Amino acid sequence: MTESSDEGLAIREVRLGATRAEGGTREVSYVIGGERALPFSGKRPERLLVALEICDDPRFWPPVVRDYVGDLSNDPGEWARAAERTYGADLVRLNFTSTKQRGFDAFDAIAATTEEVLAATTRPLIVEGSNEPELDSEVFRRCGEGGEGERLLLGTAEADRYRSVAAAALAYGHAVIAQSPIDVNLAKQLNILLCETGVPQDRIVIDPYTGALGYGFEYSYSVMERIRLAALAGDADLAMPMISAPTDTLSVREVREAVPADQDAMAVAWEFYTAYSAFVAGASIVCVRHPRTVERLKKALEV
Amino acid sequence: MAMKALDIYKNLPKTNCKKCGYPTCLAFAMKLAVGKAEIEACPDLDPETKTLLGGVTRPPVRLVQVGAGERSVAIGEEFVLFRHEKTFYHPPGIMVQVSDAWPEDKVRSAVEVVRDTVVHRVGQDLVLTGVAVKNESNRPDRFAETVALAGGGSSLPLVLIADDPASFEAALAISGHYRPLIHAATGDNWQALAALAKRYGCPLAVRASGPAELAALAGKCADAGAPDLVLDPAPRSLRDFIAAATEIRRAAVGRTEPALGYPLYLDAGSFGEIDTALAAGILKYAGIIVTPPLSPASREAALTLRQNIYTDPQKPIQVTPGIYPINEPGPSAPVLLTVNFSLTYFTLLSYLDASRIPCYLFVADTEGLSVLTAVAGGKLTETLVADSLKKFGVVDQVDHRRLVIPGYAAPLSGKIEDATGWKVLVGPRDAADLPGYLEKEWKA
Ligand code: B12
Ligand code: SF4
Repeated sequence: MTESSDEGLAIREVRLGATRAEGGTREVSYVIGGERALPFSGKRPERLLVALEICDDPRFWPPVVRDYVGDLSNDPGEWARAAERTYGADLVRLNFTSTKQRGFDAFDAIAATTEEVLAATTRPLIVEGSNEPELDSEVFRRCGEGGEGERLLLGTAEADRYRSVAAAALAYGHAVIAQSPIDVNLAKQLNILLCETGVPQDRIVIDPYTGALGYGFEYSYSVMERIRLAALAGDADLAMPMISAPTDTLSVREVREAVPADQDAMAVAWEFYTAYSAFVAGASIVCVRHPRTVERLKKALEV
Repeated sequence: MAMKALDIYKNLPKTNCKKCGYPTCLAFAMKLAVGKAEIEACPDLDPETKTLLGGVTRPPVRLVQVGAGERSVAIGEEFVLFRHEKTFYHPPGIMVQVSDAWPEDKVRSAVEVVRDTVVHRVGQDLVLTGVAVKNESNRPDRFAETVALAGGGSSLPLVLIADDPASFEAALAISGHYRPLIHAATGDNWQALAALAKRYGCPLAVRASGPAELAALAGKCADAGAPDLVLDPAPRSLRDFIAAATEIRRAAVGRTEPALGYPLYLDAGSFGEIDTALAAGILKYAGIIVTPPLSPASREAALTLRQNIYTDPQKPIQVTPGIYPINEPGPSAPVLLTVNFSLTYFTLLSYLDASRIPCYLFVADTEGLSVLTAVAGGKLTETLVADSLKKFGVVDQVDHRRLVIPGYAAPLSGKIEDATGWKVLVGPRDAADLPGYLEKEWKA
């Protein structure tokens, strides 16, 4: 497949968040997508967002971030507020890591934390719900309900578990992250499945799965380029904006085994190189975990 | 666009005289089609055909060598715009910049870092490429002294950055035979610089803003006898660089503007965002990247990104399947099943080396797929394990019949027992936990 130098067809626009006028409580809402050309080709629009990830149970979070944020990690509301006001993130991605623990049943806390983080922030919110297939339907319902009207970006739908998240998105008016393992055709299939369940195409964001730098990132980079090229060439089932979350980045050996004095620098370098490269490959939203990476990425987008 | 082998063949003499070094004209045509042979090798072509075929069969981006000897770097000879279309071949040279206005010690230590830094990853040694010496003293003699301090090009490849020809004369008197890259010929000085490049046989960077101006200037320098060019599009911003670099690479591989068929140059220090510039240059077509000295973290991440992007997408970096003795194992040492993806192998190896536990690594041929990927994709199977045990003669090396498999291969444990008759122990998922696991669970 080659890309023509002419303008391609447009990536579909997806709206995230809802202001008061739009039925929510956000101070801003974002529109991503709309591009007709390769990233950084000088042609607008180019709406690139940096999300800082936080979680509701820090036991399942990289130690290097826990050490850096200190007490914040025990308070999702304050952590989210700092993400926006102190660290400068465009938006927050809230991960319900609590659902990783055995025998999880604190469903009420899911809705409450969603509401708490919404109250602490002024911008659109990404919510990463269940980590366990058996919990999907209840967890996604609670997240969905907690954010009703706020047009969350809700994750994550995968080929063998997308119904619960799709149902919650449809019932409460949210957008959905569709994740497939580094493969153009699987990404396309999942989008088709989601559309068949009634999720409109302008409420899907593709997550092509991002391997960490040095640990499979090259595959992710190329698959993002291929998805973008396919979309510009007219494949409507792939013409959605992309989100990249290099989730494993802070647990790679280079970061884990860095000498303590260098650990933050190594963590930030590793996240930065992965996430910036994802932007260059076509991601509209990149998600990172170390607060300092946020600032680096925001600056990088200005030069 | 490039010509297909058959179309090239139609234009050859078809006498199969072998003077080109290939058994047949068709074999020669096939090499030409992939840019791996020179049209000049066939002596029986009329000049017109030679020009026609030469134009369509030379690599769309010229191969340019900077430096001489072991650590020299070859850049260019690329064929595609996106790595998934085939692969990228020649990783950019990362050149650390020093200044002739710096004290000697500072220059020396920056050069030492370039010379001595090695990042070992998946069986490869990743290094910074060379040194760029910038003339900021405005004195030719200082410039030449600093070039000498940087080794003169005898060990590390150099970029010489200056404006006035007198500085280049002085520096080239020392380093000229080591093929330093001269930066940069501009609209003002190109005649003098092209003459120097010709005299010393050195590569020359040309600098002009925008592809059209670059093509014009490159054409003039090439005509003046400096064929080995590198293009500096003089970007005002990094976005500008990415856009210009993409346009230039597209024109080169599409063969729409031969005067743009050269590798690119990026000064990563000029935007106040070194890491961003390094990443952008690595991803988007830079052949030479000049950067201020880097922190250890930036160095490691940049070298790793360069390695990732320049890995052949069709061929993961692999190790040869087989049985590998680690830490001098005896016949009762554990046998550990793993896959032949280099990243997996070397990750395991580093933990096993550190733990000093004697064992055998039993590396099955999963065509370079990682454990989890191979299991998910059906490439790691009980049949493969059973056949490989036989093929590598594992039974002759150990006096037991117990096999430790990776935690991620747990779903296969029963099937492997059935197919091999060996007892299977399911190890941990993370290699970091393997030494602890073996100490506890492996009883000889
Ligand atoms: C890069 C990648 C790919 C690349 C392949 C890269 C390669 N050379 O293997 C590509 C894009 C080709 C790919 C394809 C697929 N992939 Co893939 N891929 C990955 C990714 C991002 C990284 C893999 C990696 O490099 N890991 C690093 C290496 C070092 O890990 P490892 O080999 O497992 O080794 C570790 C351990 O196993 C252990 N270990 C190793 N040996 C031993 C031995 C012993 C004795 C012990 C105790 C331990 C041990 O130590 C190592 C370090 O801890 C993973 C996600 C992830 N985080 O793992 C997905 C992932 C593995 N892929 C997945 C899938 C589904 C696929 C596909 C089936 C999808 C498809 N397209 O159809 C295909 C299958 C391939 C095929 N067609 O045959 C899924 C697997 C889901 C599952 N749980 O089963 C994953 C987890 C992604 C996801 N979350 O969905 N993939
Ligand atoms: S030298 Fe020319 S004519 Fe002879 S075999 Fe080679 S291509 Fe054919």
